[in-house]
Amino acid sequence: MIPEIGYFSLVLAMALSLLLCIFPLWGAHTGNLRLMRAAPSLAVGQCVFVLLAFAILIYITLTDDFTVAYVAHHSSSTLPWYYKVTSTWGGHEGAILLWLVMQTLWTAVVALMSNSLPWILRARVLGVLGFLGVGFMLYTLWMSSPFERLLPYYPVEGRDLNPLLQDPGMIIHPPLLYMGYVGLSVSFAFAIAALLTGKLDNTWAKWSRPWTMAAWGFLTLGITIGSWWAYSELGWGGWWFWDPVENASLMPWLVATALLHSLSATEKRGVFKSWTVLLAITAFSLCLLGTFIVRSGIIVSVHAFATDPDRGLYILMFLAVVVGGSLALYAARVAQVKSEGRYQFLSREVALWINNIFLVVAMLVVLLGTLLPMIHKELGLGSISIGVPFFNQMFAILIVPFAILLGLAPMLRWKQNKLSPLVKKWLLLSVVTLVITSAWLFGNYEVVAPLTFIGTALAVWIVLLTLFDLMQKVTVQNTISEGVKRLGVSYWAMVSGHIGIAFVIAGVTLTSAYSVERSVRMLPGETATLNEYVYRFEGVKEIVGPNYTGHAGVVSVLKNNKLVIELHAEKRLYNIGMQFMTEAAIDDGFFRDLYLALGEQLTQGAWSLRIYHKPYVRWMWLGGLLIALAGFIVITDKRYRKTSAPSEQQGVGA
Amino acid sequence: MKIVMVLLLILCGSATATEDKYVFASEERAATFRELTHELRCPKCQNQNIADSDAVVAKDLRDKVLSLVNDGKSKQEVIDYMIDRYGYFVHYQPPVTPATIILWVLPVLIVVIGFGFIVFRQKKASRKQTWSSEDEQKLAKLIQQYQRREQ
Amino acid sequence: MNRKLLGLIPFLIFILLCVFLYQGLFGNPRELQTGRIGHTMPSFTLPDLMDEQKQWQDKDLIGDVYLLNVWGTWCPTCIAELSYLTELKEQGVKIIGLYYEQAYDPDFGDQFDINKLRAEVQAMLARTGNPYQFNILDLNRTLALDLGVSGAPETFLVDKKGTILLHHTGDINQRVWRSKFAPKIMELTQ
Repeated sequence: MIPEIGYFSLVLAMALSLLLCIFPLWGAHTGNLRLMRAAPSLAVGQCVFVLLAFAILIYITLTDDFTVAYVAHHSSSTLPWYYKVTSTWGGHEGAILLWLVMQTLWTAVVALMSNSLPWILRARVLGVLGFLGVGFMLYTLWMSSPFERLLPYYPVEGRDLNPLLQDPGMIIHPPLLYMGYVGLSVSFAFAIAALLTGKLDNTWAKWSRPWTMAAWGFLTLGITIGSWWAYSELGWGGWWFWDPVENASLMPWLVATALLHSLSATEKRGVFKSWTVLLAITAFSLCLLGTFIVRSGIIVSVHAFATDPDRGLYILMFLAVVVGGSLALYAARVAQVKSEGRYQFLSREVALWINNIFLVVAMLVVLLGTLLPMIHKELGLGSISIGVPFFNQMFAILIVPFAILLGLAPMLRWKQNKLSPLVKKWLLLSVVTLVITSAWLFGNYEVVAPLTFIGTALAVWIVLLTLFDLMQKVTVQNTISEGVKRLGVSYWAMVSGHIGIAFVIAGVTLTSAYSVERSVRMLPGETATLNEYVYRFEGVKEIVGPNYTGHAGVVSVLKNNKLVIELHAEKRLYNIGMQFMTEAAIDDGFFRDLYLALGEQLTQGAWSLRIYHKPYVRWMWLGGLLIALAGFIVITDKRYRKTSAPSEQQGVGA
Repeated sequence: MKIVMVLLLILCGSATATEDKYVFASEERAATFRELTHELRCPKCQNQNIADSDAVVAKDLRDKVLSLVNDGKSKQEVIDYMIDRYGYFVHYQPPVTPATIILWVLPVLIVVIGFGFIVFRQKKASRKQTWSSEDEQKLAKLIQQYQRREQ
Repeated sequence: MNRKLLGLIPFLIFILLCVFLYQGLFGNPRELQTGRIGHTMPSFTLPDLMDEQKQWQDKDLIGDVYLLNVWGTWCPTCIAELSYLTELKEQGVKIIGLYYEQAYDPDFGDQFDINKLRAEVQAMLARTGNPYQFNILDLNRTLALDLGVSGAPETFLVDKKGTILLHHTGDINQRVWRSKFAPKIMELTQ
């Protein structure tokens, strides 16, 4: 009975979102204020019913109701309760329901927090969000309901959650990622509403910006956690594989990053208007495209999701309607948009434009690299693979001009700058960069490859220039505290984001260059040395978990004959699926990770072990957190809460 | 000579009690092996390289790469050997063909168009420009005065 | 003038993309083309599955059109296709088995028992029908690697000169046979 209530609750939600789609859009079209005013309550209403459905799914999972197919396939009675909760988004149907939860939550928040907007815009934004809600709800109800029953023959025990997903990283990764994806649908809705209204002025950019920033922050967090999860759970010490599923989340991130830079130019200077709108549409389109790629099975990926051609077809149709429709609208309206700002070559506008070029090019590299193997085969040209070597090479090339510019750009003012004073500073700072980088690398490592040097130098360059610019802007006022106060919130966000990028670049460069590994066969009592650490294999003990059994290899890690830590690298056998899982043991540190994975049992009591020493690997995720922080800093900006029209007070940041 | 060296390494390994799974005659070869096993794709798996896969064929390919590298084959020779047998699919770096050239051409093209746009705009703008740098200085002064008064 | 046209570009690109995505829905991303098509059989010397005294070489196979079927008793799909292959054999198709033993690992050489394997194969073939002229035992999977085999079942079509014409991954059934193999064989006999 309860699952049926869940289903019915979704039906009600869909009815409300149909109304949310029709009333305000029609009201805005005909100028009927009463219809428009219905939007916020409809938005909150659909959210309540979706949340109810989601709560019911969690409830039936917690109570082990295996008559429900979804629970029987993705949970089991021995699963710990917290993984039962996360199993509600561990499978396809539940993941789409989680998407809906996020979608309706964002819609409700937009509805409640947009009372400063003119009704006509507010109604259109909510109407577009309602349309997206209808699309996903119809999909859930029609072809992917998590409440389907297995009656009359249901199993007494569930098939358990995929052991790969039984990890803390997996608890938060999908919700964050979906928060980001769905958040970008708000930017998308603002763009479409602005196109419908025909007023693409900077007030539009101003309203859209905090939402975009928040969505982008969540997306950044989601990707960061996803990478960390892959590192800690897959057992190979890898953190990014350029898998289609990873690419699907990276593409919207790249475009959203371009979008929030271009939004600031549009907001503050009234330039790049049509471009900004196009980015807003593209960012969300890529979220939908990513969902299609992941869910349709058209591309071979490590992540095996439900692959059903009917479902793929539905998502493709939805994609075609949403994206095709909005791009057609864009084509029809773009000719009326005029950018008004004037700027010289050496200006922040141009710097932001170049930033956008590189980000879009990076996105195209990922898009082509992801889809070309499929197209290549469809054209009858045979199978090819595009992966790590290709992407690494392309990104290594793209990052150089991008990072150099990233350092320079914050020093540029809008409109125009004098070249000579800037060049002097830049020359001086580049010398300092080279000195610091050399001292850092040659002081620590015997071999420094040119690429390693370049990558590290780029990171140093960014940090140095960002701090230099900060110092200049703080000291320009009479006192430092006043200087700090006068800097806008978005300036601090920029500092955080840019330094985050520097950490990512340094982390990727150094961990790629200086990670070492050994695959060894060890008997209890034997030792292996890797860099300055000695690993002593103490033996293997049996472990018994709630839903698995297995072995833990106990390894003492010594440095200068002193015990650093005792690591327990596990190899688990999950009872229900009979799947083996490697649970790596990691000693994390700011400067290095020690990473240990237990391999198979060999003859005569020996075990195979893989030992990794990964310097600076944590800097990547630290960088990711700093970047995400930038997004959350901006939304604290009071400017975005004011009810009045565009404010005069402008932060110095971009 | 090489064989002797490998043997020596193996012997040394067992003398210090721990045996490495893969033994190489030189550090370069170890690096080549590492690169190759990360760039070659397991043909049976979903999307994994042969270093990370537990599939039988991945292990066979790993062993083959090991023996080829230890025979002194270069990285490219090993890649060609694998492509001969498993097709281009086996290597994560796509071949350059008329169909794949777009992978490199399109990014360059977009960068050129993007920069072209700025240059084009500057030319167009400079024709219309009536706002001089003198005007700009005047404005800056005015703004400064205004800000001072505000404080 | 061209602002309107410029605005249309994203739309047109997207439509093109949709066409490819739509086609992709009906393709199979797992189906692969390997590098051996058009080449001659790699050279090898391997024992017969049932009799290690008997050695097979690549040149022993030249002179006939035949199917080389990679299989193993550990692989359920292989067993499923045995009866169809037996039908093909009765229609006069020459099929040679390449026995692909998954469990054998040179690093753990001690666990392998050839006699047990032979008994298993015999029992299996007695049940499903025996499509094979003979079976080549590729214990180290070296010939399999030279052929670009990634698992089982896989089937090659080889012509009289020993040139590999087809490499099929997955099982052979009536549909696959009629659409993929039969036309090629027709071509050869004409």
